[in-house]
Amino acid sequence: MDLNFTSEELAFREEIRDWVGKNLPRETSHKVHNALRLSREDQQGWAKILGKKGWLIYNWPKPFGGPGWNSVQKHLFEEECARAGAPRIVPFGPVMVAPVIMAFGNTEQHQRFLPGIASGEVWWSQGYSEPGSGSDLASLKTRAERRGDKYIVNGQKTWTTLGQYGEWIFCLVRTSTDGKPQTGISFLLIDMKSPGITVRPIITMDGEHEVNEVFFDNVEVPVENLIGEENKGWTYAKHLLAHERTNIADVNRAKRELERLKRIAKSEGVYDDARFRDQIALLEIDVVALEMMVLRVLWAEKSGKQSLDVAGLLKIRGSEIQQRYSELMMLAGGPCTVPYLHEAMEGGWQGDIAIDRFLLPLAGTYFNQRKTTIYGGSNEVQRNIVAQTVLG
Amino acid sequence: MDFEFSDEQEQLRDAVRRWVDKGFGFERRHALAKAGGKTREVLGEINDLGLAGLVVPEAHGGMGFGAIEAMVVMEELGRGLVNAPYAQAALVAPTLLSYAPEALQQVWLPKIAGGEALVVLAQQERASRYRLDQVATRASEAGGGWKLSGTKVVVPAGDEADAFIVSARVSGGESEAAGVALFVVDAGAAGATLRGYPTQDGARAADLVLADTPATLLTRQGHDALEHAADVAIAALCAEAVGLMDRMVAVTVDYMHQRRQFGVPIATFQALRHRIADVKMQLELGRSMSYFASLKLGEPAQQRRRALSQAKVQLGNSMRFVGQQCTQIHGGIGVTDEYVSSHYFKRLTVIELSFGDTLHHLGEVSARMRDGAGVFA
Repeated sequence: MDLNFTSEELAFREEIRDWVGKNLPRETSHKVHNALRLSREDQQGWAKILGKKGWLIYNWPKPFGGPGWNSVQKHLFEEECARAGAPRIVPFGPVMVAPVIMAFGNTEQHQRFLPGIASGEVWWSQGYSEPGSGSDLASLKTRAERRGDKYIVNGQKTWTTLGQYGEWIFCLVRTSTDGKPQTGISFLLIDMKSPGITVRPIITMDGEHEVNEVFFDNVEVPVENLIGEENKGWTYAKHLLAHERTNIADVNRAKRELERLKRIAKSEGVYDDARFRDQIALLEIDVVALEMMVLRVLWAEKSGKQSLDVAGLLKIRGSEIQQRYSELMMLAGGPCTVPYLHEAMEGGWQGDIAIDRFLLPLAGTYFNQRKTTIYGGSNEVQRNIVAQTVLG
Repeated sequence: MDFEFSDEQEQLRDAVRRWVDKGFGFERRHALAKAGGKTREVLGEINDLGLAGLVVPEAHGGMGFGAIEAMVVMEELGRGLVNAPYAQAALVAPTLLSYAPEALQQVWLPKIAGGEALVVLAQQERASRYRLDQVATRASEAGGGWKLSGTKVVVPAGDEADAFIVSARVSGGESEAAGVALFVVDAGAAGATLRGYPTQDGARAADLVLADTPATLLTRQGHDALEHAADVAIAALCAEAVGLMDRMVAVTVDYMHQRRQFGVPIATFQALRHRIADVKMQLELGRSMSYFASLKLGEPAQQRRRALSQAKVQLGNSMRFVGQQCTQIHGGIGVTDEYVSSHYFKRLTVIELSFGDTLHHLGEVSARMRDGAGVFA
């Protein structure tokens, strides 16, 4: 038992820190550190910088062009990016669909889709949830009917994060109504420029446009865009869910945000108020405990010596902590977080208001973060899964 | 970074577990508790496994092991619901004695390592709560020796011990850290009176009243030594709690499968399934922070204190949640004396009340808070 990183790992961290420090645009990190609105250019710009270095695909195996890092190295990379204020890598392409294409796609599909994902050039979206299919995803109804060498897709997806930028979307579609709901689902890649696709914004309670509805009206999709076999899509989707289990806890971002919370609390005079300070202390302990749990999982993955049944806990705990720090930041800001100035979320805003502008996004972030215990499998669904592993 | 136990550590774990499985069932524990909680005989059996000298330096007849070995043993003793004062005898006392002059170490450490002497810390007073600097017991020097006067409370295994390490004030006011020294007092010393009593967790403690009782000076740096020993004790208690919670959860899971209501096992009810998921969460957060506690014991005092307080807060929250919820899931049987679950619960509760409760340590973490967050801060 040992808590220290090896000297190689520390050198690796230094290398990452140095490179990120030199290559992350200051304007972007300023926005991240202050929870300001990120534009498409902020997000994709960083993705392309990483893409050029070969690090956008830091979690890909070597045969597919990834750097071949182990779980600890990946963690250190994520930690340094978070620490420096890099935008989170938009996961839909490199983290979510790519492993499915690698594992179940054919060679032609590898060549066609993976390079655009690796370079950050092509923006991918996820088409899973539907108005009637949230936690009960397998009940999804969007139909894909085979006609000759095409599928005709009709239906609606929703909660499509950043779908307004999407160029391609990976969808779960129903190709059969025989048998169990899970056995009639296929995994389809769809060009979002196809005729018949309409993207409509959903404005969330923070006033932001982050998620969308995507409508499919007789959309023609070539059969070569089917991943693997027809009606096996559910299996592939589950493979996707099994990926990137530790990153979902987002403990590195939590560490950065905890420091921001302390800065805000100091500036607002509540850092030395015992009642408030104890809440920060409790959160700090929660973050340490989460990080220890993440480190245990990382080590188990790296060594392959243990299988830990704690991975399912990471999403629950990580999301609760995200909500807590955003809540405490708002509470630290107090009444000065009440003004709602949509334009103040922009990086270059120069408004005339007697409140420090770093306080203005805090309530919005708090409202925004309510999503974290809902998306990616609601925490109640996660508890079902944990209970299944505990009770058998 | 490495979370693997060495072969030696696994052997240690097996040895304790085998002894528990063979020799320390719940019936024996229950009978000992009902008879007043005297467990010197049980401690003797643990010592026979060679564990008395676990952390005592080899030069003094011990095995010279460290914090991780201690953690492994404590987890297993927790799992076995063992009510003997092993942590006090084999972990806390040697830590305190490491601050003693060599000659005094030579007197006590070989006896501790050999399992011949039970030496326990007598630190708490009626008004001290969890503060280590709050010491009213007075030490006075006379004729080349020391005499102590004062009253210590809830001294673990007090009326079974051979000697005590007593905190007493050589100077300063009642809450001044600088004037706290440590002394060794023989159980039979003149003017020392013991009043033993059973404790809530099936063990035993005592009041120790000292009236001009002759004592040997262990160290004038008593407060530093007490802080160190408290942290060693906290790490041990965290590990014991993990073992206890592990078993309590396992027992609860079994019960959920056996117990039928409305024609089905209660394990099928989603309200209870979510509860057990939350219990699992607290157990694993607790286990993670127990590792953290033992891994941080070797850090410099400032970082060590902060880390151990962080761990005790997490374990405090975990123990309360796991203990209360596993009792609740059991329904009526969970509140009875005859069933094992209530005994896990009571021991977990007494651990909360030992070496600083959750609020006490939250206050410590809060007071020590600084910039930088996370495991390596």
